[in-house]
Amino acid sequence: MAAAATAAAEWQDAERKVLVARKPGFGLPTACPTCLPVLLYLRMSQVPFGIHVDTSFPDADHIPSVEFGDCVAFHNEKGGVIEYLKDENILDLTSKHPSVSYPDVLSTKAMVTTWLADALQYELWVVTDGSIAQDIYFRELSWPIGKILHWKKIRDVKQQLGITKINAAEKEEEIYRKASDAYDALSTRLGDQVYLFGDSPTDVDALFLGHVLFVLNALPTSSLRSHLQKHDNLINFAEHHKVQLLEVDSSLAGSGSSDPSSSSTPRKRASSGRSYKPKPRAKKERTEEEKKFRRRTKYFLATQLVAVLVFLSIMGGVDSSEVDNEYDVDYED
Amino acid sequence: MAVTADSTAEQAPNPVPHDPSEESRKAPDQADREEANEGESDEEYDAEELDEPTAEAADREAVQAVFRRLSSEPVSIRVHDVIIMGNSKTRDTLIEAEVADLLRSASTVQDLVRASSLASGRLRRLQVFDSVTITLDAGPPELPGTTNVVIEVVEAASPIAADIGCFSKPEARSWSLEGSLKLKNLFGYGDIWDASGAYGWDQSSEVAVGVSLPRFKSVPTPLTARASLLSQDWLKFSSYKERLLGLSFGLLSTRHHDLSYNLTWQTLTDPSQMASKSIRRQLGHNLLSALTYTHKIDQRDSQLRPTKGYAFVSSSHIGGLWDMKGLKFFRQEFDVRAAVPFGFYNAALNIGVAAGVILPLGKGFMELPSPVTNRFFLGGHSSPVCSLGALSSLLGFKMRGVGPSEPRRFAPSESVMDDSATSPGRDYLGGDLAVSAFADLSFDLPLKLFRDAGIYGHAFLSAGNLAKLSESEFKNFSFPEFGRTFRSSAGVGLVLPTKLLRVEINYCYILKKFEHDRGKTGIQFSFSSPL
Repeated sequence: MAAAATAAAEWQDAERKVLVARKPGFGLPTACPTCLPVLLYLRMSQVPFGIHVDTSFPDADHIPSVEFGDCVAFHNEKGGVIEYLKDENILDLTSKHPSVSYPDVLSTKAMVTTWLADALQYELWVVTDGSIAQDIYFRELSWPIGKILHWKKIRDVKQQLGITKINAAEKEEEIYRKASDAYDALSTRLGDQVYLFGDSPTDVDALFLGHVLFVLNALPTSSLRSHLQKHDNLINFAEHHKVQLLEVDSSLAGSGSSDPSSSSTPRKRASSGRSYKPKPRAKKERTEEEKKFRRRTKYFLATQLVAVLVFLSIMGGVDSSEVDNEYDVDYED
Repeated sequence: MAVTADSTAEQAPNPVPHDPSEESRKAPDQADREEANEGESDEEYDAEELDEPTAEAADREAVQAVFRRLSSEPVSIRVHDVIIMGNSKTRDTLIEAEVADLLRSASTVQDLVRASSLASGRLRRLQVFDSVTITLDAGPPELPGTTNVVIEVVEAASPIAADIGCFSKPEARSWSLEGSLKLKNLFGYGDIWDASGAYGWDQSSEVAVGVSLPRFKSVPTPLTARASLLSQDWLKFSSYKERLLGLSFGLLSTRHHDLSYNLTWQTLTDPSQMASKSIRRQLGHNLLSALTYTHKIDQRDSQLRPTKGYAFVSSSHIGGLWDMKGLKFFRQEFDVRAAVPFGFYNAALNIGVAAGVILPLGKGFMELPSPVTNRFFLGGHSSPVCSLGALSSLLGFKMRGVGPSEPRRFAPSESVMDDSATSPGRDYLGGDLAVSAFADLSFDLPLKLFRDAGIYGHAFLSAGNLAKLSESEFKNFSFPEFGRTFRSSAGVGLVLPTKLLRVEINYCYILKKFEHDRGKTGIQFSFSSPL
């Protein structure tokens, strides 16, 4: 009790809270899929915080971390930052839900943190050509180091997922099947609610939202995305909360916690400590409606062009005969 | 020493002094004939058909005539040819490049004998020969006044040499126990390949492989290349562990100058997860690409117990040469010291001052932090007298026990037993500006027993200070304040030089220290390398 009170007391007394996360990208305040849920959780809890970007430790287990006063909550301790904040009674969104069924929340969380997380890791490190991972994690490191760490991470992910040359295809099929089943289940759970478990958020919302936003924004051409797009309500869930949390709240967070101190890593100068507004949105991905609309527009324009050509050819024939007559007349004179 | 005696001695006015090169010789006019007979002598002996005692007398007379001639005036001579024998693996070009110019430049016999001695020293320093003999032979008879220099080498029988011992590398912070395996002269260029492992007193361990070449094409100075993996544990002091995997190239190495280039992958981690905020910000991977230039003048009579002379070392490092993303900084250190002898009890006063500064480079460098691994740290038990060029000694204070520090991470304790959580300790961050000074009076002890064992006593005074300048802290810096906050200590002690270690037992009294400094008045032991 005293220990929990101490951490909570530190949280209360801390002048500012700082989230140490990886760099922003793809229209998101942090492009790392492990850091994004923590950021969203803090935004959902309406806690003002600053962000410190770490660029020199892409393979750190302890990032994301939240610093408050002299205390720090690390990702690799006590189940993660969100779990730590819940256990220390600092921030617990789920407790505000008297009616929610704890086993439901737990099983949904397990599904998101295992099946969906594995699928995302697989997609990011094994399937894509490496440029996305390079952008998020290794762009700020010197070339030889970045290359070696990237290769190491790919090998570690394969080992963790149990992928070998022999079972690669089988594993892939299994991973996507589980992800697809998870999306189906979550879509059913969400229905047309605002959050997964009713009208107020839980930590599972933060975890799932982080996953979905990453897939939609950073993995545009992935199989995961195509599985995800079968569920309109999940897409709407993501879009709605993105606007709510990442665009509206960024201004709130920015005013609450600007960091006057200088950057800490030699490379990061301009971007330390200040809270981030998301970058101007990159070119939006085309949804089915947009594709239909564009197709229709193309047809319309094509029809117009054909009509103009036909008109010109007919009128052009009449004109040319008139011109010939004029010339004839001239010559005759 | 055998001299060719020839019936045609008048026409060949240049005698053939044999000069075994195992001993260092003085100038020929002071040579002692008796000590000359140790090396193999490859003589051309053309004896007259006389009775033995008469022949001996004649020889002696001839040799004495030679010496009289050599001691009275310079005898001019010209080197006609340099003949190299005994090298089956070693390239002729290597030996010629090392010594040919030296020998050919001699114009008198005396110079030639001196040059031969130097040349043999150079060849022995290559460490690939078991013995080197230089013989000055008569030149071709049709060319009077010439000599052929014959260099006979015996290559090392076994190309592998294993070594284990206590060494103190100049860049190391303390001594280390090192074992190495050397492969000599694999390709005949005097190349020495070595693989070594070292374990240091400051919990550092290193594994390395390297090659050194005495000369490479037209570059006359030795070149070295080394790949090493070094890990060092600073958890107790600064809450981080560093691992350095790198290549280093020694580009120029002469008596006074040293230029080297380092390309290192540096990783800082904190397995304890208790680091303070400043250290947490420094954790991660970095590429250190740095050029180091050291200028050294050491005119002291000894490195371990100098009694007279002076020394000066200037060391400059510039980092950030690979690309814009690596560690970019400039670091400069100076170290000046002098030793003044007193007449009695072999006493000498050693004084020294060292200063260093590190600045980060790049845009907005005034707000950037300096890399923690290259900052200056003061403290530790290493003797300031022996550590030339290492700005870190401050007797009486613990390793890294002085200077800017920050509280570690506060982890609310699990137990509910007492309200006050135990203090997590502090991380010592080092300084960007460091100054240290010492004065050490060493003297022999009155007891003959101690004198014979080489044990002597010393009294010392040392002072030092660190300041942070990076991250805009230089705005709060002032020299008067820096001077006011100097830490200092004084003490007396005994020094016991043994074969394996140099042990110092000191009683230190802290004269001035500040809050958070880790220093204690009392008896302390200090160990350093014996060489």
